[in-house]
Amino acid sequence: MSNDILVITEHMDGKFSDVSFELVGKAKELASALGGQAVAVVVGGGVDANVFASDATIHIDDAALGQFNPEAYGKVIEALVKEKSPRLVMFGWTATGMDLAAWLSAKLGVPCAAYVKEIGSDLMMGCQAYGGKLMAEVAPEGDMAIAACLAGSFPAEAGQGSTAATATASPVDLGSLKVKFVEAIKPEGGDVDITSQTKLVSVGRGIGGKENIELAEELAQALDAALSCSRPVVDAGWLPRTRQVGKSGLKVKPKMYLMLGISGAPEHLEGMKSAELIIAVNTDKKAPIFNVAHYGATADLFEVAEAMLELL
Amino acid sequence: MLTTVEKIIFILAALTSVGFTYHGFKTIVDSIRKGRPAPELKDIPGSLVKAGVAVLFQQTIFKARKVLSAIHMGLFFGLITYAFVNLTDALEGLIPGFDLVYGGKNIPFKFLPAGVINTFNLIADVMSGILLFAIIVMFVRRFITKDKALTFRDNILLNPKVLAGAQARDSLIVDVFVVMHVGARLLSQAYRLNEGPDPFMPIASFLNSMVGSSEVGVHVAWWVSLGWVMFIIPYLSRSKHTHFFMSPINLGLAKQNPRGQLDPAVPLKVIEGTRFDPGAKHVHDLAWTRVLDAYACVQCNRCQDVCPANFYQRPLSPSALEVNKRYLLKEATFGSHPEKLLLPLTETVISPEAVWSCTTCYACVRVCPVGNEPMADIVDIRRRMLIDGYEIDSGVQNALQSLATNGNWMSKGKRLRGKWAKEMEFPVKDATAEPVDHLWFVGDTASFDERVIPNTKMVARIFNQAGLDFGIMYKEESNAGNDVRRVGEEGLFEQLVEQNMAAFGKSQFQRIVTTDPHSFNTLKNEYPQFGGQWEVKHYTVTLLRLFEEGKLTVKNKLSNYKVTFHDPCYLGRYNGGFTAPRKLLELLGVEFHEMPRNCENSFCCGAGGGQIWMGKVAPGERPAENRIKEALTTFESNASDKKQLFIVTCPKDMIMYSDAVKTTGNEGRIEVRDIIQLIAEAVGVEEPAVAEAVAA
Amino acid sequence: MNIVVAIKHIPSIADDLPVSGNNVDFDSVDFVLNEFDEQSIEQAVLVKEAVGGTVTVVGVDLIEELDNILHLAIAKGADKAVKVTADEPGADSHMQAKWLSEAIKGLSPDIVFAGVQASNDLDGQIGPMIAAHLDMPYIGGVSSVEVADGTATVNKEFAGGVGAKYSVSLPMVVGVQAAAKPPRYAPISKVRQVAQTATIDTVEPSGDASSGLTFKKMAPPVATGHAEMIDGSPKEVAAKIVELLKSKGLA
Ligand SMILES: Cc1cc2nc3c(=O)[nH]c(=O)nc-3n(C[C@H](O)[C@H](O)[C@H](O)COP(=O)(O)OP(=O)(O)OC[C@H]3O[C@@H](n4cnc5c(N)ncnc54)[C@H](O)[C@@H]3O)c2cc1C
Ligand code: SF4
Ligand code: SF4
Repeated sequence: MSNDILVITEHMDGKFSDVSFELVGKAKELASALGGQAVAVVVGGGVDANVFASDATIHIDDAALGQFNPEAYGKVIEALVKEKSPRLVMFGWTATGMDLAAWLSAKLGVPCAAYVKEIGSDLMMGCQAYGGKLMAEVAPEGDMAIAACLAGSFPAEAGQGSTAATATASPVDLGSLKVKFVEAIKPEGGDVDITSQTKLVSVGRGIGGKENIELAEELAQALDAALSCSRPVVDAGWLPRTRQVGKSGLKVKPKMYLMLGISGAPEHLEGMKSAELIIAVNTDKKAPIFNVAHYGATADLFEVAEAMLELL
Repeated sequence: MLTTVEKIIFILAALTSVGFTYHGFKTIVDSIRKGRPAPELKDIPGSLVKAGVAVLFQQTIFKARKVLSAIHMGLFFGLITYAFVNLTDALEGLIPGFDLVYGGKNIPFKFLPAGVINTFNLIADVMSGILLFAIIVMFVRRFITKDKALTFRDNILLNPKVLAGAQARDSLIVDVFVVMHVGARLLSQAYRLNEGPDPFMPIASFLNSMVGSSEVGVHVAWWVSLGWVMFIIPYLSRSKHTHFFMSPINLGLAKQNPRGQLDPAVPLKVIEGTRFDPGAKHVHDLAWTRVLDAYACVQCNRCQDVCPANFYQRPLSPSALEVNKRYLLKEATFGSHPEKLLLPLTETVISPEAVWSCTTCYACVRVCPVGNEPMADIVDIRRRMLIDGYEIDSGVQNALQSLATNGNWMSKGKRLRGKWAKEMEFPVKDATAEPVDHLWFVGDTASFDERVIPNTKMVARIFNQAGLDFGIMYKEESNAGNDVRRVGEEGLFEQLVEQNMAAFGKSQFQRIVTTDPHSFNTLKNEYPQFGGQWEVKHYTVTLLRLFEEGKLTVKNKLSNYKVTFHDPCYLGRYNGGFTAPRKLLELLGVEFHEMPRNCENSFCCGAGGGQIWMGKVAPGERPAENRIKEALTTFESNASDKKQLFIVTCPKDMIMYSDAVKTTGNEGRIEVRDIIQLIAEAVGVEEPAVAEAVAA
Repeated sequence: MNIVVAIKHIPSIADDLPVSGNNVDFDSVDFVLNEFDEQSIEQAVLVKEAVGGTVTVVGVDLIEELDNILHLAIAKGADKAVKVTADEPGADSHMQAKWLSEAIKGLSPDIVFAGVQASNDLDGQIGPMIAAHLDMPYIGGVSSVEVADGTATVNKEFAGGVGAKYSVSLPMVVGVQAAAKPPRYAPISKVRQVAQTATIDTVEPSGDASSGLTFKKMAPPVATGHAEMIDGSPKEVAAKIVELLKSKGLA
């Protein structure tokens, strides 16, 4: 048994996702409090593994691990966890982490907490349950635990570094797998699919006219985001219907939803209320959107947008 | 007059004509009888007589298109006259000495006094002129000026025959018939006038001055005139002009239940050995009275004119529905395509998209001169589509799902329904726990929608101020189910009724008041079928009474406002609640202007019948937007610098019209307000001051 | 094909959730079907419609109200329904997954569907745990499933519209994110008909498992209800927004 913390990182197309760095950063903090090591685990090849601020990085590569494969990855991680007996195994509560964390928990009989947003040095975990309506504080029993953490819970910078990875062969035989990766599916062409964007700048009637869309588009580009909107903007023909968020439009769940001149009608909220970070700029301090947004500013959207463009 | 040979030919031809006519109408009656049992009709002879009177005075067509209706009246009276004219003509041909020319002047007539004959001749002659004029107007309207009102938009499903112009062909045949028939009759009269003009036959006399008189001419013209009749009568049973006969009957057999009470999804009448699936898939799944509708339909498109969905460019036309039904039945019974009856109605008479575009506003049924109910067919088709697992709009599906689990369509928890009441500065009674006089059925929108809740609270304050003993049912209230039923989800409707009936059962109250016209309609007209017999009032009526009893008094006259009022379908057209809101507005002292489309003719906001739940919103000018423009035009012709208000008495209207004011870019010019907001201002009830919620 | 759907009856988050002690006050909340289970039921029925077989829906009856849900599932196209009678409203995912696994074992499934997650999955989802107990592979985040010759082809979604196609030799457990088609609507008249005719098999809970989590506290998150307002001139607001985004790695 050790006080180490294993972080199961995730990567795609040669890039680690932000949550990997967030977890490594948090793991470092916890490990130093617990007197163990923060170990980043990189499964699969095609990626530069020397990018974490971890105390150690284990890079396991194998022909069968080239692409995410829940069965293969699960076997590798299970073997590794058995071998290392860490105090805590951290996953992201993401498309990949969600396939592995609970499975590993049941497989090893180790407690698992999901929807984790906070972890204390006593490994007390704060979980955002019931669609964000309740925060639960839970304490895992025993001397090993699994945490599946929501993306964006911890700062990413703390996890960035250059620890040299140790390459290792797969600890288990990956010869006869039932799951086979067939092919990758890329997003379709055509207009931007706002439902699959991680960042959205969304404009409402406050944008005033078609001629102002350009400004919003510029801001979106500067933020590496896509442009979406409320229904009146579509009705007015300022943006195509594919960009409409809401009841009669599309439901989106980006990491960032920056709202410029949208009042926050329920029909609009229906499409975006589960966005992770909602920032609203509106001249009306009583606009209902401020009851929903995480951050708000009573300000003119044009002035704010232009000022932001200067800073980006 | 006729020679013996002619007489024999005439009698044979007449018998053949009667034979074909009998076959025609028997086929129609058989096909109507294949429909399902209809809700029970009371005093059929009485209502047939009433309908006959209405038809005689052409009352029902004047609900719309006044000028054309007058011309139709001319046609109608002309043809009625001609029924007698043809009879006397036939008798003239067959009975020697039965001769009406010159009345009693030269040839003494044995059967009737001269005065009667002269009157008859005068009427026949003048009516011939009117008929010709009227038919020419109708002809010009259809074929020369091509009145748009007689056509269907491209996106509307039409029977191939209709698409190929069958309606126009039918019309042409009848137009030609009338011109030839009436023309020939006039000519035959003209040819007879061998002693110069008859003052009682001005038109025939005028013709005589041009063509002279001729014995051969009389015979030829007589044959043309009556020959046509023998051809046209059997033809009518096969053409759209069956309405000559079927309209009066249909009117006599029209819906007798309240407008706001839908026919059940399966007939109430049990027939041994027959199991009915809910709603309609095929044409004979419709109640027989609605199969009859197809034959009665005049194909006038009056219903299409008033249909909000049609206005909104949706592929729906209530008249196309009836027309398609008619041509489908024709192909199957007179034609050689009985198998077409087995095709679903959604392929033959109305497209699925059209089915789901109807707002159930009742305008089509109300305006129809012959008592047709296209809307009822649409609801029946929806019912079956739901049962058959047709993929419905996701928004509607979400709403229904939420209604099934939460009892409201907004995916809110049951406990949140009374949240607004708990926030009030005075306690709002729980009617399920303590007796109240008025049980206020609040409805979903007024209970949950943040934009409407301030008005809901204001109603509570005014009730409170007036000392009204009222309570709400908090979490026990469920959606009343009006729109659920109209979407076709009969099972869910029944479930909601049961839930509400259980809640009512727990409560003690004298009467129900509701702020929502949709709930009002079903509680008043449909709950009685489930054992819920109560006095149900719309809040406008309750408020008016409170004013009349002096429990509310106007402290500030609101003469600074110029207002117009929108009649919600389910309060106005469905339930005749026209006066209370207008009287209230009068009491408040506002400057009131009526929009052109008011009361019975009110134009639907577009939200009803489940449309507000639709996930997909179609492009094009929405009915509500059109209505806001109508209000503004009304105000324009009464210009002043008073504040312009659009007054509503329905929570859904509040949402639809506030949205429409924005989308039409008319903020600042017109403001949408619930009547309660005006009353609050006039009575002097204010919202309690709230601490600034926004952190500095 | 033996197709099994494992479902979860969970507290409705449409209401504000009352808390009692360190957990949800289960006595005063409404229970609803997990929204992703609606997707997984639909996907299961779609598979049945494509290749034949029977769909059996299995759930733990926490508050003796599962029948409605099971009837609904049958109205939507499931053939059989089984409930594990636990009467334990607070049973966590680990317990439910164990009981469900025991119940499912006897059904010798070719494929098991579960919702990809539930809002009360504080200790993880039942899908992967059932897979672990039954020793079957698991893939979650799935948005379409096709079955042929003992092999399932599934599409899994990652973030940003990117996905991957996998082929899996059956049996397996699938965590459904979205069915290939939107879930069909079951008209209530049909559900009511089912309620009168359908039989639901009951199974005693067997097996023991626990999440190993102790609940210390449960409360609504502190800063909800109103946005944190950013004050200052537009320039200052802009600067603060940019700073905020940068701190979250979003700019
Ligand atoms: C059946 C139905 C379905 C609907 N479906 C949808 C849907 O899918 N999606 C949707 O979005 N809406 C939908 N709506 C419309 C919805 O009700 C609202 O009307 C709409 O969301 C409002 O859009 P908005 O916030 O852009 O406009 P508004 O409500 O007009 O808000 C504009 C905001 O901009 C602010 N503003 C103005 N100028 C400035 C400035 N210079 N700087 C900063 N702020 C400024 C104003 O203070 C105001 O708050 C639907 C409505 C109905 C009835
Ligand atoms: S009820 Fe209204 S919307 Fe429906 S068909 Fe008739 S007129 Fe059109
Ligand atoms: S249904 Fe009535 S209103 Fe409509 S076209 Fe026929 S007769 Fe005219």
